[in-house]
Amino acid sequence: MSDFSEELIKSTTEDDQGERCELSGTGMHFPWLQKHIETVATGGKKEKDFAQTTSACLSFIQEALLKHQWQQAAEYMHSYLQVLEDSDSCKRQAAPEIIWKLGSEILYYHPKSNVEAFNAFADRMKNIGVMNYLKISLQHALYLLHHGMLEDANRNLSQAETWRYGEKSSSQEVLINLIQAYKGLLQYYAWSKKKMELSQLDKDDYAYNTASQNMLDHSWKTSVNLGALIQIPGVWDPFVKSYVEMLEFYGDQDGAREVLTNYAYDEKFPSNPNAHIYLYNFLKREKAPREKLISVLKILYQIVPSHKLMLEFHRLLRKSEKEEHHKLGLEVLFAVLDFAGCTKNITAWKYLAKYLRQTLMGSHLAWVQEEWSSRKNWWPGFHFSYFWAKSDWKEDKALACEKALVAGVLSGKGCRYFRYISKQDHQVFRKKIKRMKKLVKKYSIINPGL
Amino acid sequence: MDFPGSLRPTVFMTGPLGLSDVPDMSFMCSWRDALTLPESLPQNSENGVPHVAKGLLWEPETPGPLPLLPPGPDPWHPGLTAQDLLFRGGHPFQKQPRVVLDVTEQLSRFLWDHGDIAFAPLGKLMLENFKLEGGRSRSKKKTVVSVKRLLQDLDGHQPWGCPWAYLSYRQRRFSILGGPILGKSVANLLGDLLHEELVMRWEQLLLDDAFTGGALAWVPGKTPRVGQLVYPAGSTLDKLYFQEVSLTPGGNPQVLRDPGHIQLRGPVRQVVTRTVQGESLLAVRSDYHCALWKVSRQGRPAPLQVLQVEKGATGISLSPHLPGELAVCSRSGAICLWTPQDGLRRVYKDPDTLVFRDPSPWRWADFTAHPRVLTVGDRTGVKIVDTQGPPGCGLLLFRGGAEASCQKGERVLLTQYLGEGSPESLHSTLHLICTQFSLYLVDERLPLVPMLKWNHGLPSAPLLARLLPPPGPGCPRPLLLGGQDGQLQLLHITEEASTPRLAGPPQSLPSRNDSLSAFPVLEPKSQWRLQERLKAPTIGLAAAIPPSTSTPILSLFQLSAAGDVFHQCLRLQADPGPDSCAPTVSWSPQATACCSQWLKALLEVPPAPPVWAAPTFSHRRLLGCVEQREVEGKVPEGLRAAMAEGRLLQQRDLGSLPTAEPPPAPEPGPDDELSKRLEAAWEGQAAAWWERRQGRSSGPRQQPKRHKRRTQLSSTFSSLSGRLELSDATSPPPSPDPEARPRPPGTPPSQELAQEHWARGVPLERQQTLRDYMAKLPLREDALEDASAPPSQTSSIRATRSRQRTLQDNTAKPPLQRDTPEGASAPPSQTSSIWATRSRQRTLQDNTAKPPLQRDTPEGAFVPSSQTSSIQATPSRQQTPVLSGSQRIRKKPRMGF
Repeated sequence: MSDFSEELIKSTTEDDQGERCELSGTGMHFPWLQKHIETVATGGKKEKDFAQTTSACLSFIQEALLKHQWQQAAEYMHSYLQVLEDSDSCKRQAAPEIIWKLGSEILYYHPKSNVEAFNAFADRMKNIGVMNYLKISLQHALYLLHHGMLEDANRNLSQAETWRYGEKSSSQEVLINLIQAYKGLLQYYAWSKKKMELSQLDKDDYAYNTASQNMLDHSWKTSVNLGALIQIPGVWDPFVKSYVEMLEFYGDQDGAREVLTNYAYDEKFPSNPNAHIYLYNFLKREKAPREKLISVLKILYQIVPSHKLMLEFHRLLRKSEKEEHHKLGLEVLFAVLDFAGCTKNITAWKYLAKYLRQTLMGSHLAWVQEEWSSRKNWWPGFHFSYFWAKSDWKEDKALACEKALVAGVLSGKGCRYFRYISKQDHQVFRKKIKRMKKLVKKYSIINPGL
Repeated sequence: MDFPGSLRPTVFMTGPLGLSDVPDMSFMCSWRDALTLPESLPQNSENGVPHVAKGLLWEPETPGPLPLLPPGPDPWHPGLTAQDLLFRGGHPFQKQPRVVLDVTEQLSRFLWDHGDIAFAPLGKLMLENFKLEGGRSRSKKKTVVSVKRLLQDLDGHQPWGCPWAYLSYRQRRFSILGGPILGKSVANLLGDLLHEELVMRWEQLLLDDAFTGGALAWVPGKTPRVGQLVYPAGSTLDKLYFQEVSLTPGGNPQVLRDPGHIQLRGPVRQVVTRTVQGESLLAVRSDYHCALWKVSRQGRPAPLQVLQVEKGATGISLSPHLPGELAVCSRSGAICLWTPQDGLRRVYKDPDTLVFRDPSPWRWADFTAHPRVLTVGDRTGVKIVDTQGPPGCGLLLFRGGAEASCQKGERVLLTQYLGEGSPESLHSTLHLICTQFSLYLVDERLPLVPMLKWNHGLPSAPLLARLLPPPGPGCPRPLLLGGQDGQLQLLHITEEASTPRLAGPPQSLPSRNDSLSAFPVLEPKSQWRLQERLKAPTIGLAAAIPPSTSTPILSLFQLSAAGDVFHQCLRLQADPGPDSCAPTVSWSPQATACCSQWLKALLEVPPAPPVWAAPTFSHRRLLGCVEQREVEGKVPEGLRAAMAEGRLLQQRDLGSLPTAEPPPAPEPGPDDELSKRLEAAWEGQAAAWWERRQGRSSGPRQQPKRHKRRTQLSSTFSSLSGRLELSDATSPPPSPDPEARPRPPGTPPSQELAQEHWARGVPLERQQTLRDYMAKLPLREDALEDASAPPSQTSSIRATRSRQRTLQDNTAKPPLQRDTPEGASAPPSQTSSIWATRSRQRTLQDNTAKPPLQRDTPEGAFVPSSQTSSIQATPSRQQTPVLSGSQRIRKKPRMGF
């Protein structure tokens, strides 16, 4: 840790480089600019031999990595380490980061490397320079976690957690929070393991009390660790999920609700569908009123209308007493089927066929027409084409029947999809097709008078 | 369409690009993507360390791609390079080399090469006569120049670079008088425009986004093994070719039949193909037009629609959901959706960029999982726009900023929807976004937060990307990424718990440059041409995975800007053993044979002619001169033909004359020092040789030096005053005998007499006597007068007289220097500056005793020079190497403009 001052001046040199790259006036940077300049051989200081060899070595390593020649990359890496003694402070400074990035990659994929080698490398790299300690510690811990070495990972994170250098910058703070959160996650893993054990124990057992006591301790520590991070805007699904689970276990329903509400509705956070799903699932567990559930799913519907929870949403709306909810229920079904990924969702088609009939029976033709008007110029081509009729009938006859019913109701008996399916003769589906024809005749919105 | 139950933890920051406070997550490595968090149950993680296919590798069958089709018949030129645009001077005080556009060189080149364009209009504007303010002492004749005459003199050619070029005295005077004015106005007018143009060219060199998306498409045919390659070719890329290709089980493609083609009216920039509901559609983008074809099962294209884009189209994409739908982007910032039912409809219009201000007019549009929702992209971000909603509103899908931890100066270069419209595809909500540094995968259901980010590190702009179907059940999908300079990378995208991940480390594939070793070694010029051709930018990428029984095979096609289609076959090597590293492949005899055949065809294509070359001398007059004389034989004829066309005289123009003689043996001449020295050095006697040489050459070596120095001095003085030279009268080298002088190759012998018009009229037997006499002459004016003014001389007495006066200045070379006035003012005048002329004028004035002569002398002295042709100047320059040579060194040939 001898190069503090150098690292502090890093920002200025970076700006300098930035200025150099930017020249076309558009502000865009071109990584290939240097190549063009070199062909012109403009004046200026020549690179020293040392710099030339190290940069050549770096490109060899990158090439070897992209060709999956791990052995060769490792050999080059051995030589590249000399860059740490570069007399150019700027380069010397950026070196640990590059070495870590490439070195860890080699060690991760090298057929002969093992966890010990990786550990040794990571421990060495952490202490070269001061700026990378936290980042490398975190990645090291993730590596261990990935390999199932939870205890080692925990030890690593604990060490990193207490590490401080200089004034706490905001990026450092975020990193420390992340490290603490991962530590909390590890504690959660331990806790859920204990919970499993506990569930297997008898409540009157002596061991039960100590175990539950243990769990309480864990919980407290974990909440401290996880609580800080999830205040920062970001995507914290695993942390939130485990935190809420623990809070719920200890009966802190209000705390859990607060965490989830904050996670879902805080505007500083990205619009994460999972936040709403977690909240919905929590409310469902809590047996919240239907009205409340609908309001949560309504927001999810606006973010991700194709989500599979939308069918559940539709069921909720259908059961609701309010008429506007009934209308929304139709809208939700149409919206789900708009998406390319849902075209073969037989449940959705079934729901739509059923609900269309129900709606039309309830003389809400206007609702159907409203939904259909924005889709009538592309749904026939998208869903009800001859191609799909043929392929659906071949692959999934039940689906084809549901779709044909919807097609017939929405675009009349002349619809090619309906015509194709209704002409099919199949002993299992004969009855169904007959019923379908009848229903279409009765409810088709194209000729409501007949 | 499952949404991942638990997303990867990410910090979310809002802010501009390169925000330093964000903990840089791109610092994370590619292996980070392979990491997974053990799910809530610990035992789950213990027994199930997630299995990652570590060594997923596509192994190339040859070290580089091979040409699939013979090269086109049109020549190809690589275009501008940085060397053409940038200033090459040094900046000794700057640490880093700086890029400076070289406007001055371009401007001066323009003025030299296209002087007629640069100056003629100005001259015409100034009408017939114009007056330039001169000194009061000068009379009207000196300050008034007739432009008409001047233009006649110029004859449409700029005498540049050629010392024999013809330059009239009128031109020179004009250049002196008008130089400051004309030079400035032309430079001012042109400078700005030129700078603008150069900036544009330089930006285009750094990033040419015309071919974004790629102009090569693979249209699948009736069977999975047969398909069509659709690509543009020809020197202007305006012919759209349809080449049927069949893929053998071994992976090697076979070209079936000759390609069909469609002639278009503009260069093809992008070719897109999609197969929707069994219909194959083909969309083509040109600069100002877009077109849509439907390709029948037999492979016949039937035109459906042509759209005109007035401001220029930047991108076109076909809908994966509805057959025939396409989105077109224009430079004006408008996005239009074309559907077979509704026709063309503008769905979005915003001349400004999405996130921050960026001058690039590049726009891009693609489809999403919802058939009525489009993505709209520019350099700063990507937005999701509902075409049925109110215009202008939408949600940002990707933002060039801290949200995706973008670097400073990072810009979007390509966006692509990775879904295919079929519900089976797992990636139906994923979008690929490429910048010059990184690759992002963004899910449209979770905008702004990339699901995956990877630093591709390509050394050129990644403008091409193709997501391929999985090569086998359970295999990750290959994603091809192509840089403009031909670099290719292949990533494996897999989906674990509905989250896209990189499966294994990315891989680089051989580029066309790697194929150089397959070609036979050539002579440097052809080798250079081949290299240039292989280095041509990649403008198209297509791939097909034919159904295979054993190992999956990937057939990769590349299109270069020169119109070449190259092919490479790759074999998947799943999970190689721990010790196996990538095996080295070598060229097969078939591959090298294929390359040599292709090369042979390439070398038969004539090289691209230069765009424009400045004529180095005015040959029209010369032509007339040559035609006057009755010369026979093939040599002069060939010369005349070459001159008439203004091209280089070549061996074949001269016929088989030289070939009749045996080629001269490489016999070392008497003065071939180098070979002797090498010989000596080889025998280890270099020192002895040196000694020998020192001893031998010390005497004669110093002599020419002194002689040179002296003659330099003498010529310097000669222009200053005449009298001084008299003392030096005996020093010049004996002038070569006119008879023994080597004749210039193309000069008809009859011209020789014309060169020595001083001798005309003098009886032949007397000429030699005269020469001898003059060589030893103790100079006296009257004697010279006799000799130099033969009675039959065509020029006036006055002129002759003035010439003798001048001779006094140049008595350094008494006998032959007689025609110095012409020699010094006409041909070397090319080189000689106006100073010499002026000083001579002055000298003449000083020396002339009689006042009435004074006014006319300058004119008189120069008139003959305008009569003598430039050929005449040739020998005279040879005769007087000292004078003109030394002047040429000091003064650059300039017209003074």
